[in-house]
Amino acid sequence: MLVLTRGKDEAIIIGDGIEVTVLEVKGDKVKLGIAAPPSVPVHRKEVWLALRDANIAAADSKDVAAAAELFKKKQKNGPAPPPAPGPKP
Amino acid sequence: MPTLPTRRFGPIPIAEADVYTFPSGLPGFPGASRFVLLPDPGGAPFQWLQSADKPELALVTCDPLLFAPDYTVVVKAEDLAPIGLADVAKGFVLAILTVPSDPKLTTANLLGPLIFNPGTMLARQLVLAKPVAFTRVPVFGAAAPC
Repeated sequence: MLVLTRGKDEAIIIGDGIEVTVLEVKGDKVKLGIAAPPSVPVHRKEVWLALRDANIAAADSKDVAAAAELFKKKQKNGPAPPPAPGPKP
Repeated sequence: MPTLPTRRFGPIPIAEADVYTFPSGLPGFPGASRFVLLPDPGGAPFQWLQSADKPELALVTCDPLLFAPDYTVVVKAEDLAPIGLADVAKGFVLAILTVPSDPKLTTANLLGPLIFNPGTMLARQLVLAKPVAFTRVPVFGAAAPC
């Protein structure tokens, strides 16, 4: 892992178009500004990991036919009616 | 018409024009960026996102409004630029479902909905500003939170 020391308002450039700037250092928190092309997704790591794990779990879906039947039944019963319009008490 | 090998559905005929490309891929599936949408053979309002790169990879998806009528996807224009979607109304959103051993416990990923642009045949998985728990929203049972 490349390790660089940067202070407030200092930045690093990654590749062609990604710039990461240290905006604020406060206690054990660092606020970063990230400028990247729209084609480069930027995520907090824990969110990205949750997304990855959810995707992998979804790819291992089991009895989808049974879920499909449940879904059709749920639709047949209809969604709960919307609350009646009117002034709130 | 070329045939796509799939594990769940066997070989299926597809046209190149039906293939959606995810330019940034999907987290968890490196090397899989091209997918086709297939209707559910069971007649449920599900659509299968079948990988055109990996025959074994297929995800079941659904219009989230069918079980979470108040669900809204808040996006910035820059989130849609990579798929060339200038007008949100011309795209559509699907949520990935996870069906565990007990199908009653099926969940939907409402944190990372998929957005498709049929005009460009590009798509991406968004990440909304919601708690991580929104990756597992129950589909059956109480009304889904949004």
